[in-house]
Amino acid sequence: MTPVLELRDLRVTYAGGHAAVRGVDLTLLPGQTLGLAGESGCGKSSLAMSVLRLLPKDAQVSGEILLDGEDTRAMSWGRLRAVRWASASIVFQGAMHALNPVRRVGTQIAEPMRLHASLPEDQVEARVAQLLAQVELPPEKARAYPHELSGGQKQRVMIAMALACGPRLVIADEPTTALDVIVQAQVLALVTRLVAEQGIGLVMISHDLSVLGSVCERLAVMYEGQVVELGSAPTVVHDPQHAHTKALAAAFPTVGDPASRYAPATTNPAGVPPKVVPRAGEPLLRTQALRVDFRQRGGGWMRAVNDVSLEVGRGEIVALVGQSGSGKTTLARTVLGLQQPSGGQVLYDGRPLPRGSRGLREYRREAQLVLQDPTSALNPRHTVYEAVAEGLRIHRMPGDERELVAAALEAAELRPAGRYMPVLPHRLSGGQRQRVVIAGALALRPRLLVADEPVASLDASVRGEILALLLRLRAELGLAALVITHDLGLAWNIADRVAVMYRGELVEVGEVEQVLLAPRHEYTQSLLAALPEVAPVT
Amino acid sequence: MTSPAWARRRDAAGRAWREFAANRGGLVGLVVLAVFVLVAALGPVLIDDADLDVTRATGDRLRSPSGEFWLGTDENGRSVLALTLWGTQLSLVVGLAAALLSVVIGTTVGILAGHFGGWLSAVLLRFTDFFLIMPSLVLAIALSAVLDGGAGTIILAIGVVSWPASARLVRAQTLAVEARPYIERSRALGGGHGHVIFKHVLPSVLPLVFVNTTLAVGTAIVAESTLRFLGLGDTNEITWGGLLRSAGSSGAITYGAWWYLLPPGIAIVLLVLAFTLVGRALETVLNPKLRERR
Amino acid sequence: MTDSLAPVEESIAEVPPPSRGGGVVRYLLAKVGGAVMSVLMVVVLGFFLFRVMPGDPVSIMTRGRPVSGAQLEALRAQHGFDKPLLVQFWNYLVGLVHGDFGQSYAFNAPAGVIIGERLGPTLLLTGTATVLAAALGLWLGAKTGWHRNGPLDRGSSGVALVFWSIPPWWLGVVLLMIAGGVFPTGGMQSPDSPAAFFPHALDVAHHMVLPVFTLVLALYGQYQLVMRASLLEEMNSDYLTTARAKGLRDDLVRRRHALPNALLPTATLVFLHLGMVVSGAITVEAVYSWPGLGQLTAEALASKDLPLLQGIFIVLVIAVVVMNLFADLLLRVLDPRVRAS
Repeated sequence: MTPVLELRDLRVTYAGGHAAVRGVDLTLLPGQTLGLAGESGCGKSSLAMSVLRLLPKDAQVSGEILLDGEDTRAMSWGRLRAVRWASASIVFQGAMHALNPVRRVGTQIAEPMRLHASLPEDQVEARVAQLLAQVELPPEKARAYPHELSGGQKQRVMIAMALACGPRLVIADEPTTALDVIVQAQVLALVTRLVAEQGIGLVMISHDLSVLGSVCERLAVMYEGQVVELGSAPTVVHDPQHAHTKALAAAFPTVGDPASRYAPATTNPAGVPPKVVPRAGEPLLRTQALRVDFRQRGGGWMRAVNDVSLEVGRGEIVALVGQSGSGKTTLARTVLGLQQPSGGQVLYDGRPLPRGSRGLREYRREAQLVLQDPTSALNPRHTVYEAVAEGLRIHRMPGDERELVAAALEAAELRPAGRYMPVLPHRLSGGQRQRVVIAGALALRPRLLVADEPVASLDASVRGEILALLLRLRAELGLAALVITHDLGLAWNIADRVAVMYRGELVEVGEVEQVLLAPRHEYTQSLLAALPEVAPVT
Repeated sequence: MTSPAWARRRDAAGRAWREFAANRGGLVGLVVLAVFVLVAALGPVLIDDADLDVTRATGDRLRSPSGEFWLGTDENGRSVLALTLWGTQLSLVVGLAAALLSVVIGTTVGILAGHFGGWLSAVLLRFTDFFLIMPSLVLAIALSAVLDGGAGTIILAIGVVSWPASARLVRAQTLAVEARPYIERSRALGGGHGHVIFKHVLPSVLPLVFVNTTLAVGTAIVAESTLRFLGLGDTNEITWGGLLRSAGSSGAITYGAWWYLLPPGIAIVLLVLAFTLVGRALETVLNPKLRERR
Repeated sequence: MTDSLAPVEESIAEVPPPSRGGGVVRYLLAKVGGAVMSVLMVVVLGFFLFRVMPGDPVSIMTRGRPVSGAQLEALRAQHGFDKPLLVQFWNYLVGLVHGDFGQSYAFNAPAGVIIGERLGPTLLLTGTATVLAAALGLWLGAKTGWHRNGPLDRGSSGVALVFWSIPPWWLGVVLLMIAGGVFPTGGMQSPDSPAAFFPHALDVAHHMVLPVFTLVLALYGQYQLVMRASLLEEMNSDYLTTARAKGLRDDLVRRRHALPNALLPTATLVFLHLGMVVSGAITVEAVYSWPGLGQLTAEALASKDLPLLQGIFIVLVIAVVVMNLFADLLLRVLDPRVRAS
């Protein structure tokens, strides 16, 4: 049987000498599914784009790319255009941008059919409706513009579009990255079903091993442009051989696995501190019946946070879990006094948050924020020193500024501190940047950290290190933390208690083990059910 | 702390200069600009006052170029070359001052409208939009017709009508910067409005403002010459636009006196083009978004 | 992976963005309201500029002429400048509502009537020039943006920059000197212009060649540069990669996908720059003695005719405001993205 896709010694080099793909051999038989895993920059997207020769002009490609036995590198432009979408199609990362914003989605789905004349014109419309039905969208959505659809719907449109010409190969590049857990589960189920029904070969790319493992038969792990591990999905996920695969696998812990409770994957010699029991007594932070309303564009009010009462004890780590739009970030901003509540109140140390700017300033020394994306959380013009010293200067902290900055950097494990001080953020890795943000917070000797998705934009191998740092800071400094996340694995890794937020309300609050292992609310149950699962090794 | 910081700034400046120098248009513009500045500065040295005085003019009326008058004479017998060279100073000064005035107003309004939301932003935006669609020349004409005076009035008229474009630009940039999480971080650290504006927003807006000023000078010079051409401002001041007005009203067009009509016009175009080229080259260096693209 | 998702998850899954069916009326009201507000601001500004700021308008109007004190008094009384400011403002408002822009000092006729006579020629000139300049500029901008750094781009973007730097009136003067023998140099029609429609139209068209050419050259560069930048903005968009992956030819990718996206913001800018067109037209009309509002402005300036200037100012700005309103409404029909917000 001719493979639908065969790569022989594929190499991609960009202008400037950056080798993105360095000698990859892969084979995919018809109807097979292959997952391609790796961190950002490992070359997986370059590999995907090279198949249909969609790389920018400055990219040098060598080796063989056999699509149904025919080398796409040797094809004429006309032949290549005929092969594109008809033989192999792509589901792009971020459907929001991959659809033309000013054309109706139906037209966009129909476009390749009309182009490749795969159907007579009078049947095109019926086929579009059929495709939409296959991806479980009502036919009238054909008349919608992309901005009128939700993220999940757009991704379904992309899938319908990919299937339009009945290709033998579909390449899906991070198809669910921007989606919420439950929607991700639905899209993955859809892809699995369609690929199986129609006998399509699938290459799926992701940074998330468990997502790939739940859909694909085989997994290939890429690292620095090379495939470092290739095998059946359960084997790769449950019994990784290569050090990098191990790091990837550990980054997505199985909820309920006792080995990863209070133990994020870290290679730091400091290791994971012993479990700390939070001190009892009056909680450090308490919200009482908190409400936040937003005026909507075009009139009306939207209630982002509804009647939320939450406590964070001294030295306690509480995970606030929910999907995007559930109001968890608004809650965090309100807790920090960055957003005025419409009702209810926030109590810190037993006293309501001050309203005046002077009182708030004092509070903001004690409660610090760590943001999701450290790249944008640091002013690109400010050195590490200036970024850490910013808070010290605002609060006119007593003591030698340079010593305080050095101490904060050391506490965030950027050692030796002197080496990092004059560096601009863009010279640092993602993990180092997040440590700078944390150092900037620590410099003010706070008692509470509010961390909004602190590891969501970091590579898998760094994730565990930052989480371990949070645990150590709690153990050494008694720092309490409210960690906002969509990631149940994170809660399992570090939190003492977990609060589940759904449409502005807390639907379930309790000990991590109790909520995640025996959920009572149906929303928590469906969140847990949506976690991708990889079959055990057989 | 200072020495590595300074070294870094020096490195950055060197890198910016190398990038700027790689843009041939910008380099040419810079050279042309330097020549104009030199002429403006040396004008009083090079040119005898007598050459400019109508009563003491030595040449005949509207004479074509000759050895004595390289670019011929005007309707009063004055040397067109001397007049054109002399006009450089006022055009340059008025252009720079008007551009500066407009950019200062625009930047202030833009940052205020971008940083503070609510009614202040709404009012400022309403105002900006109104002035943006307004035919600015018409307003400048009205202003300089009503306010009597010379170069100062012209500067005021141009500066007051041409700020909305930079206000829009600066507001957009302010909003872009304010959307970055590092502003949120700064607020959470306890930073107030002043801290956010002066430590984060202004430094990141300044390169854009600088580019914008350079480009605005070109527009201001065209506007200045247009107002002068229409007879506004003090007609005793020697300016390129004023020269062309005298040329037009003295029948130089029908007479075919190209030596009178071309030099001031070419000077305007060259100076405007020089500012525009330098501005665009700066834009590619200082605007990271464009830098990636080109 | 669970294969059976409980029915409850349908409701838990994300909510699509709300449809905004009722938005049309709101949008219309907001835009029209904005335009009305702009018009009110023009009216106030007009009064402030021409009655309040000058202090004594009559002294400006009579500058450089020998006038007796009695004559000044008579002028003040004639234009109503002797009344208190609030009364003046009220009279001014009442006059405007009735289409009365005051009495022109130089023409000794109602300013409104004179302006009305000149409106047509200005509309003809600016309309023709804007359409031609926009067509040329957008076409060149699309070409040069797509083939960035190609020979056409290097050449024509430079040329556009040069034309953009030339003051339109000076370009007019130069063209007048060069082509003055071939084309009529002034006015809108010959003294012996035929009365029949088509020959007359031809005569007017003949007179229009030079002023229109001048304005087009002065305007198209801006449009070209904006269109080019707008297309470059779209060049790296993911949906273009999607289009290429579908197997579309390069020119189809451009025509079907890149251009519609780049054109809409550019169109907005074209309308936003109408004020610039008006500014250009004023001076070009003055150079070619085209009997429109521009030439009238020059005449009013020469005779310091403040009431006439005030009328021209108000009419021109209101015209631009109204055109912008139309553009906004048109854009809403054309661009689904605008329709959404």
